[in-house]
Amino acid sequence: MNCKLCSALFQEFLENSLSEELIVEVQEHIRTCSKCRVSFRTYTVTVTLSRKVDPPCSVSPETLDRLRKVIRENFPKSHGAVV
Amino acid sequence: MGKKRDKQTDADLVRDVKQGEPAAMEEIVKRYSNKVYNLAYHLTRDAHAAEEIMQDVFLTVIAKIGTLTTEAYFSTWLYRVTTNAAYGYLRKEKKFSEQTPVEDIDQEQYLEYDWTNLPDDVLLSEESKEVLRKSIDSLPEAMRTVVVLKDVEGLKNEEIAETLGISVPAVKSRLHRGRLILRKLLSEYFSKYTEPSREEE
Ligand SMILES: [Zn+2]
Repeated sequence: MNCKLCSALFQEFLENSLSEELIVEVQEHIRTCSKCRVSFRTYTVTVTLSRKVDPPCSVSPETLDRLRKVIRENFPKSHGAVV
Repeated sequence: MGKKRDKQTDADLVRDVKQGEPAAMEEIVKRYSNKVYNLAYHLTRDAHAAEEIMQDVFLTVIAKIGTLTTEAYFSTWLYRVTTNAAYGYLRKEKKFSEQTPVEDIDQEQYLEYDWTNLPDDVLLSEESKEVLRKSIDSLPEAMRTVVVLKDVEGLKNEEIAETLGISVPAVKSRLHRGRLILRKLLSEYFSKYTEPSREEE
C-alpha cells in the first residue's frame, strides 16, 4: 500500500466498511509510515472533536410544553381530533 | 386509544397523523424534538433561533404531512425541512459567515506535527472549541451541512444523502474534503503548541 491510497481510505476505515485485508494493509502501513500515522491520527481526532464541541442537548421542559401547546392549537380539528 | 405509540414505526405515526390523531403527533414530537432542535442549533449557533425553527418545523409537519408520499422517509424529510429553515434564518439575518474560498486541499499534504498527543484540556479548551466552530462555519454551505449532519449530529451517510437529495458518494466526498479543511485549520491552530525549538530564530 502506498501513502496516497492509505490516506484515501481513512474515511472508509472509520466507517468500518473496509474488507479485512484492507484493514490489515492500512494498519500495517500506518505502523511503518510515520507521515500516514500522524495523518491518520489528526484525521480521526478532527472527526471526534467535531462531535465533542457542542454535544447534543435536550430541549428544556418549558420549551417542550410551549411547543406541545402550539401544536395542539394548530392540529387540524376537521379530521375529528379527539381532545 | 390505547395504542403503544412508542412501539410504532415512523410510518405508522405519519399515517395516524394524516388521519387526524393528535396522539401520534405527540409521539413524533417526543421522538424528534431534540434532534430537530440540535440540528437547528448546530446550523445557526443560536439557541433562541433554534427554538423558533423547531416550532416552525413541527408546524410545517402538521401543514404538509399530507404531501409526504413515502412515509418511511419521514425522518429525512424532517431533517430537510429543518436544514432549509436554518439556512433560511441565516440568510434572513445575514448571519452567514464569510466562507473561505476552497483551494483544493492537497490529499497528500501531510502534517508532520502530531497534535493529537496534546492533553485533553488543550484539545477541548474553550478556545480550541471556538476555533473548530468557526472552522465548521467557514466551510462552503454544501460541505458544512454534510459535516454537521455526519460528524456533529451523527447521521448515517444514507440518511444524509436522502436528506439532501444527493448520492452517497457525493456525501462521502463532501465529508472527506470538509474534514481535510477542518484538520488543516485545527493543525494551524494547534501548531502554537509545538515545541519552541522549531521556531528558533
Ligand atoms: Zn504513508
